[in-house]
Amino acid sequence: MPPDRSDLLQGTLELLVLKALSLEPMHGWGIGHRIGQLSGDVFQVNQGSLYPALMRMLRRGWIRAEWRVSENRRRARYYSLTPEGRRRLARETESWERVSAAVNGVLRSRIAGGTS
Amino acid sequence: MSLISDLTERLRALVFRSRVEQELDEEVRAHLEFEVAELRRAGVEPAEARRRALVAFGGLDRWKEEVRDARGLQPVEDLVLDLRHAVRSLRRNPGFAAAVILVLGIGIGAATAAFSAVRTILLSQLPYPHADRLVRIYEKNSPVNLWSLSTVDVQAIRELQRSFDAFGAVQRTEAALSGTGTPERILVGRATAGFFAALSVVPLAGRLLEPGDEAADVPPVVVVSHALAERALGGAGQAVGRSITLDGVSHTVVGILPAAATDLAGVTAEAWPALQLKTPTRRGPFWLRGIGRLREGITLDAATRDLAGVSERIFPLWAAGFRDQKARLTPIPLRVTIVGDTGRGLALFAGAVGLVLLIAIANVATLMLVRASARAPELAVRAALGASRERLTRLLLTESLVLTLLAGVAGLAMGWLSLRLIGRLAPGLPRLAEVGLDTRATAFAVLAAVVSGVLVSLSPISALLAHGGPGHPGTGGARAGTSRQGNRLRAMLVMTEFALALPLLLGTGLLLNSFLRLRRVNPGFDPAGVSTLAIALPEARYPDEPALQRFWRLAELRAGELPGAAAAGLTSAMPPDDPGDINNFDLLDRPVPEGESEPVSPWSAVTPGYFLALGIPLLDGRLFQAGDSGTAPPVVVVSRAWADHYYPDERAIGKQMFAGGCRTCPPSTVIGVVEDVKYLGLAGSAEAIYEPVSQANTRWLNLVVRSAASENELSQGLRNAVAALDPELPLSVVSMPERLRASLASPGRWTALLAGFAAAALALASLGIYGLMSYVVRQRRREIGVRIALGAEPASVTRMVIARGMRHALVGTFLGLGLALLGARWLRALLYQVGPWDPLTLLGVGALLLVTAFVSCWLPGRQAARLRLTEALGSD
Repeated sequence: MPPDRSDLLQGTLELLVLKALSLEPMHGWGIGHRIGQLSGDVFQVNQGSLYPALMRMLRRGWIRAEWRVSENRRRARYYSLTPEGRRRLARETESWERVSAAVNGVLRSRIAGGTS
Repeated sequence: MSLISDLTERLRALVFRSRVEQELDEEVRAHLEFEVAELRRAGVEPAEARRRALVAFGGLDRWKEEVRDARGLQPVEDLVLDLRHAVRSLRRNPGFAAAVILVLGIGIGAATAAFSAVRTILLSQLPYPHADRLVRIYEKNSPVNLWSLSTVDVQAIRELQRSFDAFGAVQRTEAALSGTGTPERILVGRATAGFFAALSVVPLAGRLLEPGDEAADVPPVVVVSHALAERALGGAGQAVGRSITLDGVSHTVVGILPAAATDLAGVTAEAWPALQLKTPTRRGPFWLRGIGRLREGITLDAATRDLAGVSERIFPLWAAGFRDQKARLTPIPLRVTIVGDTGRGLALFAGAVGLVLLIAIANVATLMLVRASARAPELAVRAALGASRERLTRLLLTESLVLTLLAGVAGLAMGWLSLRLIGRLAPGLPRLAEVGLDTRATAFAVLAAVVSGVLVSLSPISALLAHGGPGHPGTGGARAGTSRQGNRLRAMLVMTEFALALPLLLGTGLLLNSFLRLRRVNPGFDPAGVSTLAIALPEARYPDEPALQRFWRLAELRAGELPGAAAAGLTSAMPPDDPGDINNFDLLDRPVPEGESEPVSPWSAVTPGYFLALGIPLLDGRLFQAGDSGTAPPVVVVSRAWADHYYPDERAIGKQMFAGGCRTCPPSTVIGVVEDVKYLGLAGSAEAIYEPVSQANTRWLNLVVRSAASENELSQGLRNAVAALDPELPLSVVSMPERLRASLASPGRWTALLAGFAAAALALASLGIYGLMSYVVRQRRREIGVRIALGAEPASVTRMVIARGMRHALVGTFLGLGLALLGARWLRALLYQVGPWDPLTLLGVGALLLVTAFVSCWLPGRQAARLRLTEALGSD
């Protein structure tokens, strides 16, 4: 197992799921797999948090679910973004960028302070 | 958007619970298969791939639990679980469940029925538009003395009042309906146009009465009930325009009332002919009901003042014959006048029902408590497995609620039945047709069920909490319900049951006592072999006094000639509760002071044959003779009670009085005194004045015959004899014993009703104490077994159990006595010759309750005495 695998904060997981689904509708396993791929295997999505998160997002109306047949001809539940989910993704991305930029700024200044 | 999707997702999860669970399962399976496929692509062996996939997934159930949590359904699912559990545990104990549902169902059912009846009859508005503005107008000269209106009153109100936007009068009477098959006697309300206007009645077909219909010279018209139109006029659709004959006069049907209008303003009638008011010659007689609708914004007080003014204006005009200056025209809300005395009976009924419901709740609470202790081990196991106290409380509460709601459903069914039963048992209740199980009654039943559910679960829950939790399974936990506190609670519940049962028993005892006394009342005559036939001679065929007198003479003669007939007579009053007419009089030798009201007495027109037929002995003076004709000076015969009241120390014979307030008429002279007969009910006074039919000029009389022939023969003979004289008269013969029974029927029904409730209360209380003592014996069987093994007398064991139970019963009974003494005065008006605190009745019901308690304790006591140590030890 990758040593530096991070535990995902709940909000972050939702953001990643929204992002993954913005590319194409996917089933649960696919979402986990895709997030793993996209993050270069830094994020190993725990099924124990993925499905509850999907359930929450369904309830909030960000995503919808339907049963479809997968590429290997298995019936699976496919999730896709709703317009509400798209707006959410845009907002969350923006705020994430702001926060991460801020965090990065803080981290850098600290390092700078430490070397001076 | 998000709220809606939230709700739909939750709802979907809830409604399609099993489908959603299946989807979850399938989603998990799909996930695992994708994982396995991925691993195999990477070259892992199938079995190993499967193992790794499962490991990666982690605990399947925990995972599902979290998904479910995320669905936001935990509280609901807990409830569903609790419900399932409750239903399962009830199924395991069908006897217990049935007992609770039955006991509480009876209580809730009776309470629901009482609620509906009380709400509809006593509290709700009458079914007329502007019902709150409807009043009935009386003549009133003291808070308790009210009477109807006269022609003078009605005409004066019409002309002078300023408070009503509609006012009318109605005369409640009967008429012979002929020309539509067998002649029959129907109830009739002769009404003015204003009567319908005040009530805002809308006809089903045709029109209602109009002011023009009241004139003497227009063809008579009538409005008929829906029922009469269906029965006699070929249906409501084609009745308008046809005619019916009432008392020999043909009336044209101008309108049909809606089917629901079986009575209007408390007057039940099938035909409503126009009332024609003739020009009055004196202030009385008072024979009309005045109904008015107050103008918008006019208060009852304002109307009272207005009508008082009317009274003052008309008094001097008729003062010669009517000297009661204190009499005032007084409006009283129509609802009050219709519901009237029923309030007390209904309140009694509702009170009895409430007590039974409370006893039922106490009883079920005891059952629950006993059961809770029996399942203490189960609760302890649950607690050990991690159920919180809160969770257990909720479990107990859910169980109780499931039970009591089931009882509520049973109660609704029983309530429906009881309403039918009340209809049977207590006819004569006004507005009963309006009573039904509506949404409010249903809501009441549900509320009663929920409240009792909470109440009955309080005892096991408090036992659970008092013990500091259910303890450990198998050790102390097995005694969770046996704590001292639990026992005290149970004992208190049993005491409550006894305390509540006693007032019911006392009420029943008092009513029964007074009913038995009423039955022993001497009606003043021997009813056996006497039959009666009411006759009303229509004006159309008997226009004048000679025609009337001729018919009455012949009818009495023919009836006396019937085979087996011993005597026949005529009377306008009928014992025991039809005074015919009540008239005022003023004694010449002790006149009533100016401005005060004159005394009144039942006043009936009779022939001498009436006294013979009923066997009423003459005590002084003489009976009427042929010489007491219409032209001779008026004479009267009085009853012994009348003579004792007005002339306690002298002979009444020869005394004179003005009758009916007529001072210009010749005074009536008392010529005889006869033995008492009751006309104002068996509990009423026996004062009476009789005048001869030959001087009365009446068209309403009862033919009374005493005969040795059988009741059927006599009845047939009477009908034939009268039909031979006039085939158009409606004929219905009633035997005198039947009349007496009917007059006892109403008090008998109330007594029976209350006795039913008291019996239920007694049964519940004795069940309660039996259950408690059986439980105590079971709980202490080890100790009892040891005592017996050590040589204690079995009898002393029984005594110990009984003593303990009787202590509760005694305390309860004494508490109940206190309650009963406080409440009994409400019964006073329903009692006859029995005080509300009748000591014998008190002693009797107290003893009954305690004896029942004794037997209920003796049974478990005897069981205890038979305990053997081995069983006692082995059974734990």
